[in-house]
Order: sequence, then structure tokens, then C-alpha cells
Amino acid sequence: MFDPFALPFFQRGIVEILLLASVSGLLGVWIVLRGLAFYAHAVGTAAVPGLVLADGLGFSAIFGAFGAALVMAALIALLLRRRSVGGDSATAIVLAGALALGVILASDVFGSQGSVDRLLFGSLLAIGTPELVLAAVAALAAAAATAILGPRWLAAGFTDRNGNSDSLLIALIALAAVAALAAVGALLATAILVVPAATTRLIIKRLPAWQLTTAALAAAEGVIGMILAYQLNVPPGAAIAVLAGIVFALVAVAVLIHQRRPRLAPLALTLLGLSALAVAGCGSDDGGEASSSKITVAATTTQVGDLVREVGGDAVTVKQILTPNSEAHDYEPRPNDVGAVAASKIVFASGLGLDAWSTKLVKESGSEAEVVDLSSGLPVSHATGEGEAHADEKEGEEHGETDPHWWHDLTNLEAATTEVETALIAADPAAKDQITANADAYRAKIKKVDEQIRACLNKVPANERLIVTDHDAFVYFTERYGVTSKGAVFPSTSTQGQASAGEVAALEKLIREEKVKAIFPESSLNPALAERIASDTGASSDYTLYGDTLGAADSPEGTVLGAEAANAKAMVAGMTGGKERCTIES
Amino acid sequence: MHDRVLSGEPLVRSNRLAARYPGASVPAISSITFAVEAGQRVALLGPNGGGKSTLFRAITGELAPSSGELELGVGHPALVPQSERSRLDYPVSALDVALMGSVSRLPWWRRPSRADRALARESLRRVGLEDETNTTFGELSGGQRQRVLVARALVQDSPLLLLDEPFAGIDAPSAELLAALFDQLAAEGRGLLMATHDIEQARSWDLVLCCNRVQIAFGDPAQVLTREVIERTYGSSLVPLPGDESLAITPPHHHDHFEADR
Repeated sequence: MFDPFALPFFQRGIVEILLLASVSGLLGVWIVLRGLAFYAHAVGTAAVPGLVLADGLGFSAIFGAFGAALVMAALIALLLRRRSVGGDSATAIVLAGALALGVILASDVFGSQGSVDRLLFGSLLAIGTPELVLAAVAALAAAAATAILGPRWLAAGFTDRNGNSDSLLIALIALAAVAALAAVGALLATAILVVPAATTRLIIKRLPAWQLTTAALAAAEGVIGMILAYQLNVPPGAAIAVLAGIVFALVAVAVLIHQRRPRLAPLALTLLGLSALAVAGCGSDDGGEASSSKITVAATTTQVGDLVREVGGDAVTVKQILTPNSEAHDYEPRPNDVGAVAASKIVFASGLGLDAWSTKLVKESGSEAEVVDLSSGLPVSHATGEGEAHADEKEGEEHGETDPHWWHDLTNLEAATTEVETALIAADPAAKDQITANADAYRAKIKKVDEQIRACLNKVPANERLIVTDHDAFVYFTERYGVTSKGAVFPSTSTQGQASAGEVAALEKLIREEKVKAIFPESSLNPALAERIASDTGASSDYTLYGDTLGAADSPEGTVLGAEAANAKAMVAGMTGGKERCTIES
Repeated sequence: MHDRVLSGEPLVRSNRLAARYPGASVPAISSITFAVEAGQRVALLGPNGGGKSTLFRAITGELAPSSGELELGVGHPALVPQSERSRLDYPVSALDVALMGSVSRLPWWRRPSRADRALARESLRRVGLEDETNTTFGELSGGQRQRVLVARALVQDSPLLLLDEPFAGIDAPSAELLAALFDQLAAEGRGLLMATHDIEQARSWDLVLCCNRVQIAFGDPAQVLTREVIERTYGSSLVPLPGDESLAITPPHHHDHFEADR
């Protein structure tokens, strides 16, 4: 295994976490002392509408998040002026409003793609200059404000225990939350901003010392968490959060033992030290990759991974970044993913916004890999929402965006095969013969499966080939094989949107009128709404489709062709109420 | 040190003052007409909910008068709250708390200076806590905490001190020390307004203001504190002590009024 500290993306992550640790030391104590932990958590989470706006209008996500956080801070400060509203209630009211606004903007105004989720789950492995600048600004502002206003904040909190009204403190916490959001995501920002200060509070009784210890603890937890994440190959934000939680629990137990039985204190300290060592030690070295003359390439999604493995065969090592059944829309890279990208000669991407994170991942990993966007030269393309009798046919909704689920049309898969073949040969001319043979074999296989799927679906009369899916991922499939999609439970190609009550009612009406026999939940999404609609209308929801991802690696659905065959079989079974079955050899 | 005010000049004066909390239909206090001059010790007698804390809030400016007049002399008044209301879990030493007194008279960009720290130490010495400057506030005894809060008001260096039941629930040595200190502060020319339930103590001060939502009486305790005034001030919560002419009030102190007002 190579030294993580030598990798540029790892170095940037360390610098970022150290900057955030100083913010945590300076502001965390005020958050804990003034009872602002819920606010600190909420102000980051409430950045959602800002992110959706930034995504939809095309400006920087960080500005969007910070703008939303500032508006939220101002609204809370305004509510707090009215003494009848308590601090937490004010925060909860504004948070709920912000989240609702985010959902409405995402579903009904922009129909936005996955970038919102990506920011809610920021990554320490994908830190760029904007994130570093933001964290540095937050650290400097926190240091200056603490130096000048610290005595005042201290006096205010002592006199009035409900005094949350220092607007500068409120605004600074918003800035810190957005900085942490970019690094570890909104859901884990609290682990960096609040937990270290809460931990040291158990032992330290004086303010400057409390701030220094908190900064030191946050820095230690951050760096150790990053190293653990690297060794165990888990997302670093989660590693740091878990570590911070464990340290808090251990310190709390040690303090409790010390209070009850002072003589046991040395024992408690020893235990604490030992468990810390155990945590650090369990990150065992997973050994290096056997180096060979094979070239290494990376693939972003499960489908692209399968395709590149088929074409590359034994000639290439394929690092696939997304795992089966994980959503392409929300993804946090693991250290090995970044390491894999850094070591790759080519990164194959699915494109069309489905894996937009890949470009950033390549850039931040310091990799010189060539990015091959397989969506760039496809013979068949459909716009989002095309070929789709939507329940409430919105007024010519033209997104002009191309539906990213192109592989569901097997002619596209065939074209992509050729593209992968060309790119691999260019990277490793010595393996040309082997790669060409693999690609020829795969193209033949694609043709065979394509014919079988068509034959299978032809068993159902054309006017009965009606389906309702979870989200609009199947237009390439339905258009190719003459299936009519009557609508989708989620109203956009993305899984961000939420259906409105009116949309669900219209969809149910349509299902009854058109006698749609089956609704198809998707393997990677929560099937609750699909099942609800199915039981309301008497349609079946027993057959699962593979839309965004493939099945488990060893299952028949673990390959693109296997998944498409499974989709065809499921549709036929669903459309005929289980009467018609077919076998497809893939 | 502080701007000495000559005896005879009023530090606070009100005329038919009334104050009402936002949303309340009736004023919490009304018809309050009194004055505290430099060097005077004024006792403020009244039952729980009688408006003692409301009057303090009006004087500190936290609550605007709804009618009548309220005039303040030089400087911002220093409030010494009940020590029971202070946060014991706060990460500060006695010195840190005393130093908080300097914050209110400094402009926002100024940190407490070396001179402010020296003044804080001196104030702690005056309340007899020179040996406890570095003790965590929450670890001090109730009486010591009350003395730290008085020291904080001394650092504020205000000519007018508002004392909210400073003797409630504190130990005898602390009580003696504070009583002597209050006399000394008055002799220096400061004005003192002290909320209390102790009628005997009120008799020994210069003036007494009796208040039960409206003003009952204001003046020299020897003339004002008649049985009738005390009964009107405390209503029926007055009980005669057996074998004694003086009266006792139940309950002796309170700590609920701020919350009840919200």
C-alpha cells in the first residue's frame, strides 16, 4: 500500500480537517455553552433549497448553501426576538420550511439531478480550492470574532441562559456549518462542530483551555479518522463521526468512574488508552495490489464496470467505483475509490449527469487519467420524459436534457462496446488482439440477448404492453421493444423529486382506466409508494426492475445483459399477471 | 475610579411609572413614584410577584415604561441578580465572572485591559474572596457566589446598584460581610436599591419602597413601616410570630418570578 500522505487529495483532506478543527475549537465551545447544537445541525441541513437553486440556475453550490444558511440564520434571529418562540422551536420551524422549499424546488421547478445529494454528503477526499478557502475564511473569522467578542459572548451567556441573540455568533455558526457541509456533509457536520467540544467539556472547566483542547481533540480525531478511513476503506466523514462518538463515550465513562470511585481513575485511563490503541490497530494493512504489466482503468457505475470488464477481459484491471444497489445519484467516494482513480489510465464514465461527480473525483485525485464519456457517441437518445404518457401531461415540458439511462437500449450498449474497445487499444496497443476478440464476442452476445428480449415481449399483445415504473429510467427499453410506459411513481428521471398528492391520484386513475396490471419497483429505491399505489389499484408490485444499478456481483442480474433479461422477464410476467413466462439466455 | 456623584443628586427617579410585559393586559407595576440619591440605601419590599424584579427590569432598560416617567442619572445601573439564577456549569473562575463587569462599560471592539483585571482582583478582595480568584464559579458556596456577583457589579463601577435579594439563602459570614460592604458603598456615594423580604433589615436602611403591583408607600422606614402598610404590601401572607410584636412573611424568598413573567 502506498503512503496516503503522499497523495494530493489526501493532503488536501488533512489540511481541510485541520482548518475545520480550529473552527470546532473556537466555535464549538460557544455552540455547546449557548445551547446552539440543534441550530448548528439545522443550519447546514437547511442549505438544501440553496443547493437546488444553485444547481438549477448554475451558480456555485457553496454560495447557494451559504446564502440559504444566512437566510435561515436571519429568520431564526427574527423569530427569537419574539420571546414567545423558544430557540429550538424557532430553529425547527425554519428548518422544516427550508426542507419543504427544497423538495418543491427540486420536484416541481427544476426537476434537478443528483448534485443536491452530493453536497449533503460532502467528501474529505474531494476537497478543492473553494472548500479550502471557505474553511480558511471560517477559521479566520472565528478566530478574530473570538478574540474581540469572546468576553462579551461569555458574559451574555452567563447572564441570560436563553440569550441566543448574538447575531454575529449565529452568522459565524452558519458559515462554519456550510464549511463543514462541503467537507463531511450536512448530516455529519455536527460530529466535527459539536462533539469534540461536548467531549472536552467533561474534563476542562475553563474557557481558553477548553477551546485549545477542543481544537486539539478535533484535529486528532480528524487525522486519525482520515487514516482509519484510508486503511479500512470507509468514507472518512463517517469514520471521523464514529471515532468522535466513541471518544465521547469513553471520556464520559471515565469521568463517571472517576467521580464514583476516584481510586479506579488510573485503571479507567489505562482502559481508555488501550481502547484507543485497539481502534487505531484494527485498521490493518490490506496489502498491496500485485503489480503486473496490465493497465488499470476505472469505471464509475456498475453498468460501465461490467461493460469494461467484458471488453478488457484479462488484459485490464477494472476498478469499479459504485457498488451494486447503490444509487448513482447519492454517492460518497471511499479512499480506495480515489486511490483507484489516481492509479488509472482511463476513467470510463456513464455520462449525462448520472455520474457527474466523476469529473471532480478525477481532478481532485491528482490523476492524469483520460475520462471517456460513453454517452457522447450513442446512436439512440431520448429526452427526459419522452415517450411517456404522463398522468398530467405538463405543458410541453421541454427540459432539452437527455435521459442518462442509455444502456437500456442494447444498440447503445453495442456502440459503447466499440468505444471502450477503441480506448483500451489506444492505451495498451500490445493487447489489441485480445481486446478485439473480447469486443466481438460481447457484441455477438448483445445481439443474441436483444433478439430474445424482443421475442419474449412479443408474446404479449402490443396493446397490453403497459407498465408503470418507479422513476422514468426505462424510456430506452420501452421505446425499443414497443412497451408503453403509462407513468412513473417519481415524476422525473431523478430520484430527487417527490410526487404530489394530485399526481398520485391521477396516476391511480390512469392505472384503473388503462387496466395497467403491474407497477415495477426499482431495486435501489424504497418501494413503499409503488406498493401503496399497487394495493390501491389492485395492480401487482411483485416484479422488481433494475434501473439505475445492477444486481449483486455474483447474481445473474450482476451484468448488464443479465439485468436487461431480468427486466424483460419481469415485465412480461407483470403485464400478463404471471401467466406468460419466458427464458432468455444471456 | 468611578464618577463620584455628590450626595443629593438623584441616580434614578420615577413619576407614576407603570410597566407592562408584551402581550399582558394589565401592567405588572404601576403608580411607582420614588427616587434614589447618591449615598442612599433604599429597601424595596414586596411579595412574590409584587413587581420587584419588574421594577429592576424597567430601571436597567430591559422593559420600557408603558406610562409615567423614569429618569436615570449618570452611568448604567449595575444589577446584582439572585445567585440562585446563575449558571453553575459555566466554565469560568471567580475572576472571570468579576471581569464580566468591565464588558458592559467597554466599547464592543475593546477587550478587558490589564487595568480592568487589576480592578476585578481589587473587587474580589473587597468582597473577601482574594483567595478564591481562580476557583471555578460553580464550586463556590452560595454566599461566595453572591459575593462574586457583587464584585462583578463593583467592576462595572456604576453609581447605582440594584440588589435582587442579596441575602436570600446565604451563610452568616457572607451576610455580615455584604451588609458591611453595602454600608461602605453608600458611604462612598453610591446609591443602593435592594429587593428584600426582611422587614427588620429594611428598618435599618435610609428609605423603604413598599410595592405590591402598585406602590403602597415610599419614605423613611420609621414612619412608613406601619402595621397597616405592611399588611397592604403583603396581603394575607403575613403571620404574627408568637410572643413577638414583629411579623414574619411566608415564604421567605422566591426564585420563580422571571420565568413566570415570560
